[in-house]
Amino acid sequence: MAAEHTATIASHGDVATPGRGSGISRGMLAMIIFIGSEAMLFASFFAAYFMVRYNIADNDWPPVKDIATGERFEPPVVLTGVNTLFLVFSSFTVWFAEHRLKHGDRKGLERGLLVTMFLGLTFLVVQINEYVHLGFTPQDKAFGAAFYTLTGFHGLHVFVGLCLLLICYLRVKRAHDFTPQWSTPLNAASLYWHFVDVVWVFLYVVVYLI
Amino acid sequence: MATHAPTHAHTEHGHGHHAPPKPLWYWWKRAIVWTISGAIAGIALVYFFRLVFGMDPLWQPQAYYAAITMFAGMGFVIGIGCFDWWWAYLRGKRVDFEDHSLHGAKSWRDYLRPNTDHKVIGIQYMVATFSFFVVGGLLAELVRLELAQPGMQFADAETYNGYFSAHATIMIFGFVIPSFAGLANYVLPVMIGAKDMAFPRLNALSFWLLLPAGVMLAVAPFVGSFSSGWTAYPPLSVQGTTGQTLFECAVQFAGASSIATALNFLVTIMTMRAPGMTVWRMPLLVWANATTSGLVVFGTPFIAGSQFMTFFDRVVGTNFFNAANGGDVIMYQHVFWFYSHPAVYIMMLPGFGIISEVVSTFARKPIFGYRAVAFSTVAIALLGFGVWAHHMFVSGMASWLRIPMMITTIVIAVPTGVKIFSWLGTIWNGKIHLKTPMIWALGFIFTFVIGGLSGVFLGTLTSDIALTDTYFVVAHIHYVFFGGSVFTIFAGTYYWFPKMTGKMYSETLGKWHFWLTFVGFNGTFFPQHWLGALGMPRRVADYDERFADMNLIVSISSLGMVIGTAIFFYNMIYSWKKGAPAPWNPWRGRSLEWLVSSPPSLFNFDAEPQVVGGPYQYGIPGARHAVVYAGDHLGGGELTETEKRTILVVANRTIASSGLLDQVRAKAAEGFWRFTLVVPAKGEDHRAAERRLQIALAVLAEAGIDASGTVEDLSPLEAVKRVQEEEPAHEIFLATLPLAESAWMRQDMVDRIRKASGLAVTRVTVLGDDARTAVRSGAVRRVAVIANDTIGDAGLVAALRSRADEQPLGVVILCPLSLDSPGCSDDADRARDEATVRTRALIEQLQDSGIQAAGEVVDGDPGAAAKIARTDYGVDTVLVASYRRSTGWVVGQVRAAVGDTAVEHVVVDTEAPAAPSGA
Repeated sequence: MAAEHTATIASHGDVATPGRGSGISRGMLAMIIFIGSEAMLFASFFAAYFMVRYNIADNDWPPVKDIATGERFEPPVVLTGVNTLFLVFSSFTVWFAEHRLKHGDRKGLERGLLVTMFLGLTFLVVQINEYVHLGFTPQDKAFGAAFYTLTGFHGLHVFVGLCLLLICYLRVKRAHDFTPQWSTPLNAASLYWHFVDVVWVFLYVVVYLI
Repeated sequence: MATHAPTHAHTEHGHGHHAPPKPLWYWWKRAIVWTISGAIAGIALVYFFRLVFGMDPLWQPQAYYAAITMFAGMGFVIGIGCFDWWWAYLRGKRVDFEDHSLHGAKSWRDYLRPNTDHKVIGIQYMVATFSFFVVGGLLAELVRLELAQPGMQFADAETYNGYFSAHATIMIFGFVIPSFAGLANYVLPVMIGAKDMAFPRLNALSFWLLLPAGVMLAVAPFVGSFSSGWTAYPPLSVQGTTGQTLFECAVQFAGASSIATALNFLVTIMTMRAPGMTVWRMPLLVWANATTSGLVVFGTPFIAGSQFMTFFDRVVGTNFFNAANGGDVIMYQHVFWFYSHPAVYIMMLPGFGIISEVVSTFARKPIFGYRAVAFSTVAIALLGFGVWAHHMFVSGMASWLRIPMMITTIVIAVPTGVKIFSWLGTIWNGKIHLKTPMIWALGFIFTFVIGGLSGVFLGTLTSDIALTDTYFVVAHIHYVFFGGSVFTIFAGTYYWFPKMTGKMYSETLGKWHFWLTFVGFNGTFFPQHWLGALGMPRRVADYDERFADMNLIVSISSLGMVIGTAIFFYNMIYSWKKGAPAPWNPWRGRSLEWLVSSPPSLFNFDAEPQVVGGPYQYGIPGARHAVVYAGDHLGGGELTETEKRTILVVANRTIASSGLLDQVRAKAAEGFWRFTLVVPAKGEDHRAAERRLQIALAVLAEAGIDASGTVEDLSPLEAVKRVQEEEPAHEIFLATLPLAESAWMRQDMVDRIRKASGLAVTRVTVLGDDARTAVRSGAVRRVAVIANDTIGDAGLVAALRSRADEQPLGVVILCPLSLDSPGCSDDADRARDEATVRTRALIEQLQDSGIQAAGEVVDGDPGAAAKIARTDYGVDTVLVASYRRSTGWVVGQVRAAVGDTAVEHVVVDTEAPAAPSGA
């Protein structure tokens, strides 16, 4: 996916010019459209989630997991809230990495990427830990299905985002890619990372908080 | 198979890798290995997860099948080589962003490997999707066979369900959507003046993702219940087995493929339009595809989501659609139709674009209301997202949704009507040419209006409650999908066939195809309105006796489409191989794809074209859409089919050699050149030069090459200068004998001409024998001369010269020696030597006077010589030369030996004065 950015190396004649009339590189444009598509995938799962939630009588939320014991589905709000902060913070670090590149600071770029990947990985590990200790499974009622599908697909996207950042990191280390003038793959990966972050904030608010 | 004909060197992109092309087997071996490895990896992964998480039972077949399908499919795409470049990129290798090593096709093999050329991908798409069309069509015939009579024929209910389910999914995901993508892939970049799509490698990936999807869908009905139809409603789809799993996997592949293509189209259209191509100068096909791509990008994830959920319910055991556990089956329908209603516009809008192109071109009129049509396309796309629940009027959804959805549904008829009236307005008072694409377009308008009208019945809540889930729905969907989309695909395929293949199709067969399909189509689907109104339910293998007659009519009519389709395939395949060459612009179209060669050159445009006006300004004097410029290698200026650039061919002795003429022929195949042959014959035999020139011109004329020539009594340098004064040339071919034999080369003529003319000079070296012996061509009459005592007589030379002046001649001199004691006697040797000397002298004499000649001394009588003339030299005519006093028995002998080859008797007159040689 990061590799979709076939456009632009400064020396390459016609491809180096930004798209006619748009002033934005083809790679970024493609990533924006792709993110639109991804957003719709999440929208379909959110739609499912809301319809499942809407069906519950008397808006009795979170739903009862076991009628006999009256036990409810209660995802861990506080721990995941802390985890959310990790992910939000990683958005700033990836912005920092791009920012350092703009100033020609390649070491700063590397550090920024590393910290971002570390934070993203931490988020994933905490999520998996949460799955293990959650106390309900995807098979438990429709809520379980919607919860696991949403968080699971989001986790998958965090993983993809991590892969994109890793590719950028490898390009920086091995191929000495990216200059202050040209860093489309990096910018695209970073945009994707912001998207994953925004989806999570929305997801946390909708599924965990309200 | 057609290759992209003018493959002239493309200097601008010449910095790609030039490793030798890999053989086909390299890609497919990898594909097979990776597919199998993928399947094994899938099994291992599921086993590992089920073991680690302690899932019971360890063997849950559907989980394994799904993993096998997905991983094998991905393995195939990786193995065939779609990710090679990206793999190198992510390992941090040095990569060339402009790597064109996989661009273009020189032979059919290049169509069977990953290719980044949008033109090749377009053809790959068309061939693949039409193959799926055959599979889907045969499944439909199985359905009609089962339904030909009431009662159960050959399929049980579940098998029958599998047939129609697979029919629908293959036609939708394997044919209609991707074949529009294929057509647009080929023509859209050319239409907007681009060299390729924005992301060629992603484009290749899109195509190769489609293949596994098609295979999965084709296999699905035969491996276990796939009963749910293409809509795959739960709870039925949750109860399905392997076939259902394959369907869900196939949807993910096809969906990923079409999202990638749509993204590519959007970026291409947004960023790669030629200068002057403003949005209001874009052809309507471009508008249609831009809009469709938006629908695909934002709609397709919803079907992906819906199929993930049914998959999880069935395989993982979740409860999305299990009402007992808080699930909701109606929710599936909302999510599904939120994609699948826009999907019907995904399957229709590109077709609208094709019809606009075809109607305008063949009515020779500007599109009526161009901007209104463009806006209506966008309006349909936007409204299309707000009508999905009209598929669910009777599903038990929230009842307050019904009226708003009905209203939006009826409103969408307005922009659709705008299009219909635009086409009618365009045809009105037009100068209509009823070529095959136009007939399909007119047929489309007719059937699509019927489909639109039946849609009003289904979109209106009150009538839909009665008609839903009957054959009325089947009739409606086929009037808009077959009479709509498929008709437009046929129109587009015929319309751009000459551009894609460089060949013309057969109009007669095209019309047969149309009328058989049109009659068969209406006979098949029109009665279904009636059946539906009478209450025959759809998706049931058996029906009531009272529907029997009409169902038989329907089944028989469907054969008309089968025959029509067979004719279509014959026409396409035969014409592709053997059709007449297509001109650049067979329909006198205005848009950019018609201003370049058929098929376009490797990168479409060698210089950036300039768009100067709207695309449909037919009948407006002097109006133009665009100007296409010739690349630097053609010397700039405007590129047109008729105005060719001149190449000077300078040669004297070698002008009629096959070596030179082959070179000229190869150059002429590029389609941009005409040739002026210059024979500088200063101080040489003028007549001889004239004869050689005539041969060369005749050979080139026979090959359909535009060439003219002169003999100049000047030196090469002066001759080039003189000809250049008359017409500016672009390049010079200088043909000479090898260095040792060539006076011109000794005079350093290549450099001197280059300096004097300022043009590029290409030297063509021709071997002496090649120049002196007859060139093989239908334009040259090959003549054997059987003579003995007349050899050496000036009269024979004179006779042959006068024949050579009448028509281009290639001569073989055969001297039969009927010796009493052949073998090694001294007499025989002496006689043979003497004959050889005389024959050689004659041949040289002929060659000096510009007649290409060869020959030999033959042991045997004239009859034996004649046989050799026919079998070894393949001559058209045998001349028997003799003095007046000779008898005719020799001629008779020769006639008997050569059968139907013409035999003439030349009487050599000893009194005739020797023909004046030279000046």
